Amino acid sequence: MKRSLPCSGIAVLLLLLLFTQSFAQNRVSGTVSSAKDKTPLPGVSVIVKNTQRGTITDSEGKYSIAVSSGETLVFSFVGFTLKEIAISNQSVVDVALEEDVTQLGEVVVTALGIKKEAKKLGYATASVTPDQININRTVNFMNALQGKMAGVNITTLGSGPAGTSKVRIRGQSSFGGTNAPLIVINGVPIDNTNFALAQGNQGSDGSIQNRGNNNSDGGDGLSSINPDDIESMTVLKGATAAALYGSRAKDGVIMITTKSKGTGRGIGVEFNSNFTTDIPMILTDWQYEYGQGEGGVRPTTANPTSGVWSFGERFQPGMTQVLFNGVTVPYEPQRNQLRQFLRNGNTFTNTISLSSGTERGGFNLSIANMDNTGIMPNNSFNRKTFNLGFTQTLGEKLIISGNANYSKEINRNPPQFAQQDFSVPTVLYTIANSMPMDVLRDNAFDAQGNEYIWSRFRNRTNPYFNMARKFENIFRDRLFGNLTLRYNIKDWLYAQVRVGQDFWTRQQEYNFPTGAASLAPAPAGFVNGSFVQEVRRLREVNADFLIGATRKFGNFGLDATFGGNQLYVQSELNSVQGTDFVVRDLYTIMNTRVRDPIYGFSERKVNSLYGAAEFSYKNFLFLNLTARNDWFSTLSPENRSILYPSVTSSFVFSDAFNNMPSWLNFGKIRAAYAEVGSDTDVGAYANNLFYGINANLFPIGTTSGQAPLGFISGLTVPNANLRPMRVSEAEIGLELKMFNNRVSVDFAFYNKITKDQIVSAQISDASGFTSTRINSGQSRNRGFEYLINVVPFQSDNFRWEVSFNGSYNTTLVQRIITDDNGTDRDYNGDGRPEQIVVGNSIWNAGQGQIRQVVGQPIGMLFANAYAKDAQGRRIFDDAGFPVVVPLQPFGTTIPKWVGGITNSFNYKGILLSFLIDYKLGHIMSSGTNFNAWRHGLHKGTLPGRDTYRIVGEGVNQRGEVNTVSAPLQQYYEQVRSRDIGEQFIYDAGFWKLRQITAGYDFTKHIPGSWFIKGLRLNFVANNVLILKKWVDNIDPEQVGYGSDNLNGLEATGVPTTRSFGFNLNVKF
Amino acid sequence: MKKIFIYTFLSFAMLSMSSCDKGFDELNVNPIAATTVDRIFILNNAIVSSSFPTTTINYDIGIVQQMVTPNSGVLTGANFNQINNSNAEGIWVNYYRNVIRNTVDVIENTKNVPTRANLNNMARIWKAFAFIIVTDAYGDVPYFEAGKGFLENNTFPKYDLQEAIYTDIIKELTEASAALNASGTVESSDVMYAGNIAKWKRLGYSLLLRAGMRLSKVNPQRAQQAVQAAFQGGVMQSNDDNAVIRHTANYTYPFGNLLNATEAANYYMTDVFVNALRSTNDPRLGAIAVRYVGATSGAGQTAAVANRNPEVQIGMPIGYDNVSITPIVNSLRLASFYDFSQVDRTRIVKPIAPCFLVTYAQTQLLLAEAAQRGWVTGNPATYYANGVRAHMQQFAEYDAASAIPTAAIDAWLAANPFNPANALQQINTQYWIASFLNGPEAWANFRRSGFPALRKNPYPSQQIQGNFINRMVYPISENAVNQANLRAAIQRQGADNLDTKVWWDK
Repeated sequence: MKRSLPCSGIAVLLLLLLFTQSFAQNRVSGTVSSAKDKTPLPGVSVIVKNTQRGTITDSEGKYSIAVSSGETLVFSFVGFTLKEIAISNQSVVDVALEEDVTQLGEVVVTALGIKKEAKKLGYATASVTPDQININRTVNFMNALQGKMAGVNITTLGSGPAGTSKVRIRGQSSFGGTNAPLIVINGVPIDNTNFALAQGNQGSDGSIQNRGNNNSDGGDGLSSINPDDIESMTVLKGATAAALYGSRAKDGVIMITTKSKGTGRGIGVEFNSNFTTDIPMILTDWQYEYGQGEGGVRPTTANPTSGVWSFGERFQPGMTQVLFNGVTVPYEPQRNQLRQFLRNGNTFTNTISLSSGTERGGFNLSIANMDNTGIMPNNSFNRKTFNLGFTQTLGEKLIISGNANYSKEINRNPPQFAQQDFSVPTVLYTIANSMPMDVLRDNAFDAQGNEYIWSRFRNRTNPYFNMARKFENIFRDRLFGNLTLRYNIKDWLYAQVRVGQDFWTRQQEYNFPTGAASLAPAPAGFVNGSFVQEVRRLREVNADFLIGATRKFGNFGLDATFGGNQLYVQSELNSVQGTDFVVRDLYTIMNTRVRDPIYGFSERKVNSLYGAAEFSYKNFLFLNLTARNDWFSTLSPENRSILYPSVTSSFVFSDAFNNMPSWLNFGKIRAAYAEVGSDTDVGAYANNLFYGINANLFPIGTTSGQAPLGFISGLTVPNANLRPMRVSEAEIGLELKMFNNRVSVDFAFYNKITKDQIVSAQISDASGFTSTRINSGQSRNRGFEYLINVVPFQSDNFRWEVSFNGSYNTTLVQRIITDDNGTDRDYNGDGRPEQIVVGNSIWNAGQGQIRQVVGQPIGMLFANAYAKDAQGRRIFDDAGFPVVVPLQPFGTTIPKWVGGITNSFNYKGILLSFLIDYKLGHIMSSGTNFNAWRHGLHKGTLPGRDTYRIVGEGVNQRGEVNTVSAPLQQYYEQVRSRDIGEQFIYDAGFWKLRQITAGYDFTKHIPGSWFIKGLRLNFVANNVLILKKWVDNIDPEQVGYGSDNLNGLEATGVPTTRSFGFNLNVKF
Repeated sequence: MKKIFIYTFLSFAMLSMSSCDKGFDELNVNPIAATTVDRIFILNNAIVSSSFPTTTINYDIGIVQQMVTPNSGVLTGANFNQINNSNAEGIWVNYYRNVIRNTVDVIENTKNVPTRANLNNMARIWKAFAFIIVTDAYGDVPYFEAGKGFLENNTFPKYDLQEAIYTDIIKELTEASAALNASGTVESSDVMYAGNIAKWKRLGYSLLLRAGMRLSKVNPQRAQQAVQAAFQGGVMQSNDDNAVIRHTANYTYPFGNLLNATEAANYYMTDVFVNALRSTNDPRLGAIAVRYVGATSGAGQTAAVANRNPEVQIGMPIGYDNVSITPIVNSLRLASFYDFSQVDRTRIVKPIAPCFLVTYAQTQLLLAEAAQRGWVTGNPATYYANGVRAHMQQFAEYDAASAIPTAAIDAWLAANPFNPANALQQINTQYWIASFLNGPEAWANFRRSGFPALRKNPYPSQQIQGNFINRMVYPISENAVNQANLRAAIQRQGADNLDTKVWWDK
């Protein structure tokens, strides 16, 4: 178990060395074109052999470079054969490159930012082009990639446009901890803290809890990236691909490279403008036969108002109802409540970038502004980003490069979701079906300016009062970037040091408004309500060094790399909650009566050493070995060091044999195995029990003195002996290109074992704690991925391309508790298959509980179930209510099938494409439908309305047919008082028409004399249509719960939106 | 140049080499959190956290028919004699997480510290107080292994027989009360009695009296022994000895929060309770009740229509939901059910109202019964009168506007003298009133004594077979995570429903 490199340290350095050198050089220029059709080739790399001097061709295929006589120019381009030309005294060198049908040629950015030819890779990656990110975009750019990459499952939350994006690669493996991939920008990891809150979360994924009942989604680390700055994006899917990134890469890596230099000479200016309108998708299908009221009675003067119950009378023409404000109005359905409240949102992004590129370097500077208004009438998000990337060769051998990205984000009033109190979405989805919205709007306030009580359920705050009085602002300033110095000691040897930092401060403020009906009054002299103000700071520093060598010995090649990294993360929190105010509506801490401060601090480090060796034979057989040793500061000295290896290989059989059939253009098989260790589920200081003192004192008896109240910190039993989690993954893959490259396929099969998981498992309250952190169990992810591209039709003017990508994944829970020697232990001695609870629905466990159960898929949804007899008939008690069986399993909440199909058509440059995507094979518990049911909005509550008593269909406890009637409203409300979650379990699958893009590039029609050099216009539509779903009344993607492990527990979020817009790109 | 680079690179590498995890031990020490704290502060937290959870309004107080709501859903409970899991687990969650875990921490960390012997014994007494509430609600519960998730890494505690729990509670109370030593360290930061050892002793023995009396039905002999030990040890002597949480604006009364906010218009005094007080012209009715005359909705319950005159108070009958109550409302000529009497949220359930946990009044009434049974010396009539008087005097502590004048107390006692022929009913009916807002104690004493004589809730759709709810169902979380131990308990004790009786109630 314990292996460790004989190590004494990690070197991390910054160098400042100056180099100067002068040359006698000529300038050579020319045009590079395709030998086949003579069209100019932009972007061709032109390098002076054995130096780092180089340039690339511009949009017309032209280049210019300084070369000394006797040097050789190397021209290389993806998909073409490399060409070398020796220079003597020429000043013009035009080159025609031959297409290379056998070579993929594609270059992939791999771990640590090392670029590699795709054919050498022994593992699966997925790439997207900038166009796939930019043109049809979403506020969090990641969401636009849904259905576009095989094996990558992207989930949006019903938490507003600036919310988080949940990315899972090859499924979910961790029982209770984080499953998110590592985000790496230009070779250096950045922080991706998820601010989607998680009520009831027992997990250890570091979900941030707000205070009081605030439950908004404050976004994640990805949301501060401007998609226009992305030059390329690669997903390293497996542990094998990510082995060199170590612990945090166990769930894969998203490698983003931002632009660092221009493509043409001189200063290039590019302008991109993107506008979309977001229309709420309202899918409610309530019953409109019976209106507001309770127990079959509509509100009349002598009766209580209901506000959120629709158990009233059958609508009849001429009926009236008395509303909470005493006004009599017609008793009739209000079918458009949601639409009346919500507005259309829009997103407007403008990016202007300046760039320049020469053979010795270049830069790219972009400035972008994004303005978003949400469909909630007070929700907006603004993001300004400044990105500077540069690369420069100093002297002959030293390359300095770096990037800096500053973003300033202002998120106003992110919606309260997955929450009961102060949640506008929850109220909108529960308002009685005959309550006119204009009455709520016009009577939001009483004479004192407090909330006009409109429902006996006072936690259902009037949404108009809420909009006017509750606020939340989140301001984030973020600066991340890195600086790299690379020195090419010899043409086969380089050394590199790199320092990267991600630093952000995040200021958040929110209130619980004075006068809300759900708040208790303040003591005399004060008004009620509260206000929270907090500042978080996070600093993540990565410093690394790398030494690399490349040698060739005849047919054999060796590529060796050795390096080290130090990660340091420090986070801080200052938070103050103030309750009750002196001056009304002045929300400042100094105006509050009671103040409750919190200060939080943590720091941790991971030191690492790693090395890789790649052997090649004749450029068709590759073997790559890596090893990495990590030391984790969060673990005990005995457990903190871990060494793990990987081995991958790639065999390009189409290059190896000469007798391949002619239809086979390219063929490669690959295989890989890797291990990774991780402490990511252990927070700093998880090894100890802490105590604290409450912010306020308590009177000592009847004396005038006061004394502190102390507390035991946290409800999780600490554990000082946690071991690093271990992941081992094996994969094999096959890549083929056939029929003149008209058909290409890429298959991958993988098997991933995650063991020694560190889990916060729910325990008995009677222990005094609610969870314990343990090294627990083992899961197995197994699945396959495919990417198939087919060109069914191609002519001079028309091309039709279909791309299928998809994956099948199942994650099996193999063990829950293992002793140190790896044997199973009956954890809680109950004789059942071992299982642990990782979290509950916000209402009660009976509504939905996520467990990991040995022998079952990960993320099993449990809920209270209807008792049934052997014939499947429901059993009723003597009062006519269903008998309830606590907490039965229903299935996994993690999709098995995820994928997409893209059809692209190109007719004379007019591009049209559409994407259909799907997720299948998982279930969910719908909190929205639960509320709709208990409040009488759901159509399922119609039976029995005529008599207002209902005889449940089934048998009594003696096996006879049930004849006992129960009062109707209470019967349906049993789903609340008994938490019968079974009623709201749905197939969570869907098929969606996700994106449509139509565009045309006008560049070729632009005369050369114009100052505009390029113009492209696209029309886009996103989330266009739900082709198939199974859940009632909502979009299955409208989930609550940002938490990592509480999948499938829907609790009302904001409706999803259908977007339409355009994208305009102009180059100057 | 090349060499400069290489040498610089390597020397940096060498210089920073020492150990790959150098400084990690220090780094992983939390610089801003304490690993220990003066344990009296932890006991303080346990005490303040003992204020009754709001779910006891729904069940305990509803079962003894003092307050009721006609609404269903979240509010379902004793009003319809139906199961509501969220409300049934309230006592479990609050006491295990906030009281038992803290008292166990204090006891374990002070048991071998001679200078903190008093603190140790205070914590033992408080733990016993909490466990009486927990076991009375559910029957068999984790006791000996409870609260030891960290100390012994016992995350799945076994359930113990209620009989064994009571045996140990009696032992603990006996030992701890006796061991409290006035010449030892005075725990002056104690929020309950400022470390006053004599008062803590009296609390310990008063709880021993409570625990002893609880066994009067199942084992009169053991009950008598404990009661006599308590009596000899010395129980509370006045309202000054009351165990009470004096809530402040910073630490508000859970009932006060609930009944002033989300459920302000949902709970009403029952006709049973109002009539019991009114039938004897009890001045406590005027101290407790308010009626928002003519209110047709929660919003209509304004100060302008508040009437606190005992004469106008009308309690809500039990057994109705918010629809079936309409004919009753009409027949009583009320504007709506919002027009029934409520427990006054501006006085005795205001957000900073005190919460009485163990009182001199209760203690005197228990002694009245004990004396009546011949277990202790003294005149039952005197204990009885002391108990009633003390409870009436208690109201001054809620709010000046609830204070009951001595003359009114004297007049009521004169008009309602102790009647030995009807002693147990009279004493325990007064105990029921004296335990108003203390649901767990009122409900337990009702189950033990059978008084007051309540009628079965007539609601038509009930989930109990008997006349009254006899216990709370276990939290469903126990079913998920502690199933083996739970199953064993259910096997011993009987079905996990509202009907099964706890050991001392059999």
